Amino acid sequence: MLTVLRARACSSLCASNPQPLLQPWKLGFSSLSTTVDAGVSKCTLDLQEIEKILTDVKADDVKIIPVPKQNDWADFMVLATGRSTWHVKNIAQALIYKAKQKQQGVERMTLPSVQGQNEGKWIVIDSGKVIVHALDENARAYYNLEGLWSRGTLQNEPVEDLQKALVKVRRKNNSKKPAQKNA
Amino acid sequence: MIQPQTYLNVADNSGARELMCIRIIGASNRRYAYIGDIVVAVIKKAVPNSSLERSEVIRAVIVRTCKELKRSNGIIIKYDDNAAVLVDKEGNPKGTRIFSAIARELRQLNFTKIVSLAPEVL
Repeated sequence: MLTVLRARACSSLCASNPQPLLQPWKLGFSSLSTTVDAGVSKCTLDLQEIEKILTDVKADDVKIIPVPKQNDWADFMVLATGRSTWHVKNIAQALIYKAKQKQQGVERMTLPSVQGQNEGKWIVIDSGKVIVHALDENARAYYNLEGLWSRGTLQNEPVEDLQKALVKVRRKNNSKKPAQKNA
Repeated sequence: MIQPQTYLNVADNSGARELMCIRIIGASNRRYAYIGDIVVAVIKKAVPNSSLERSEVIRAVIVRTCKELKRSNGIIIKYDDNAAVLVDKEGNPKGTRIFSAIARELRQLNFTKIVSLAPEVL
């Protein structure tokens, strides 16, 4: 009897305990996440700022494409064309400089991750929710990112490519016997 | 777990069909490559009339592995095949489109270009 009682008491305690225990936890979590969000929004670049910088450095053919909703890894893709590799590099430099300037005096700077800066054909500046692609003219025509990301083509094009990729290839017949007809 | 002699499918439209890993880039005697690692590979099969040919040596990024990928929140991702995407030395993909879903870890490993070409990100 005693053990049963104890067990019951224990279970009731356990059952009653988690909620008050969990609540401060959850609260702490939510407050944490909000602070993190605020921090991120402070340090990463906004769309308007990016647009302004791109017009300042005279990037051609700037396009802003909202990412389709099934992909939650980013909100906006910004495409910009540079006239030469130097120009593409300068676009990237300007964006990084602005990000640095924006968070002067902050204890920890979070800079956007930059890829392809050595070459200058396609530089990606990944500042969280907004991703800026600075491309060469040739690279832009080659990769055709607008075609991929603007609506409608997104569903059609990969399927076509897939069908091409999955075409069955008939095996070569290396046997020296004359091919038999289906009996 | 990709090691030398592993055959890999190609997940882009670069023109190669099948690769064989011959070296993993990293430490001097690294054993296995996982998602997001760069390997040196040989093209074993190529699409006819494409720019790439059989027995060409190229670099590739692993994008899918049969070996499961664990996330800190408990999600496990494993695919049915091992697949890679051809890249050049600067990390630009050779193909212009990537097929099937890829993991978002690639973005943290500085392959945002590959992620931005993919149709779906897990």
